[in-house]
Amino acid sequence: MSLDQGARSRLDTLIGAHEVTLFMKGTRQQPQCGFSSTVIQILDTLIPEYQTVDVLADSELRENIKLYSAWPTIPQLYVKGEFVGGCDIIQELFQSGELAATFGIELPKPGDVSITISDAAADQLRQVLEQQGGPGRDLQLSIDARFQANLFLGPAGGDPTVVESNGVELRMDAVSASRADGLSIDVVDTPQGPGFKINNPRAPGVRPLSVGELKLLLDAEEAFELMDVRTVAERETSAIEGSSLMDDEQAARLEALPKDAKLVFHCHHGGRSQQAAEHFAALGFTNVYNLVGGIDAWSDEIDPSVPKY
Amino acid sequence: MALQILNAGENGDAEKISDDLRGRIEAAIEGAEVSVTANGPGHFEIRVVSSSFEGLSRVKQQQRVYGAIAELMAGPNAPVHAIDKLECLLP
Repeated sequence: MSLDQGARSRLDTLIGAHEVTLFMKGTRQQPQCGFSSTVIQILDTLIPEYQTVDVLADSELRENIKLYSAWPTIPQLYVKGEFVGGCDIIQELFQSGELAATFGIELPKPGDVSITISDAAADQLRQVLEQQGGPGRDLQLSIDARFQANLFLGPAGGDPTVVESNGVELRMDAVSASRADGLSIDVVDTPQGPGFKINNPRAPGVRPLSVGELKLLLDAEEAFELMDVRTVAERETSAIEGSSLMDDEQAARLEALPKDAKLVFHCHHGGRSQQAAEHFAALGFTNVYNLVGGIDAWSDEIDPSVPKY
Repeated sequence: MALQILNAGENGDAEKISDDLRGRIEAAIEGAEVSVTANGPGHFEIRVVSSSFEGLSRVKQQQRVYGAIAELMAGPNAPVHAIDKLECLLP
């Protein structure tokens, strides 16, 4: 039994459609096997977005991918069209740092990472360590590919990066450390009582842009993307010159841009565009703006010839 | 029509399947020294020594072996359920 040409080219297309494709049992949210789950955890640590293909949903595909890869087990990881390996190999490559390098993540050298722990946070952390610390319960920080930071006590695996501030030592894996430089930890009051607040200036986020700033950007003829996320009908009523209507095709085009591309989103008042902007920030884009006040503010303050509605 | 015998691998035919595995690997990788150990129904360990592995990554080495025996591992009634261990070595 060998793979027919049609099946082979379908898999070529599937794998070629994304930089990273994982053939797995189940989905990213609900892996159906321990090996697939392990690989998902590793990928979530390294990259914000990747394609997963559930082989349990398609028994033909499940057999075909084994022949295609000359690999008998699931999960299987492809990066840039190249077969990387199954669960064991992915774990090895992750621990050695090679997988991070495959994704273009530069791991920091010791001493490259500095963080700031406030006096109040240092007191609290020392209390936590006194009460709950001990062997195998080191203070650790992990930062995933979406820059979600997690402070916890547990055994530090591998060869952790140790960063000290205000007399408190934090341990991080190398990938988290690559995202931690400049991070600060403070204590804030929340409705549930005092909690740690982690502020990471490297985290991609959405920045506000005023209509005045947008005018300057447009006048400067600097290259950037101005995306209109309203409906077609709204756009027919009025539009900002130089903007493009966001549709599936445009979304795919934006997703393929370099992650430092400047993206500006606008809608009627700034609510819908904030959500669109956050989506792109979560994909790893670092230069994302939301037009405050939307096209309504643009009509009021910049160009009264743009009809209000 | 006779009923199909499911899970041939569980019917104690380990030796025949081991021979089949060895034969296919030897045919695909010229001059390879192959040993196959049956570990229980459908489960096998394989050790392949070949100078042709020179310069290949571990994944590529194993792909050459798995590629040769894929047919025995395909489908729900495959005679080979799992390769518990696959060693690819240089002479």
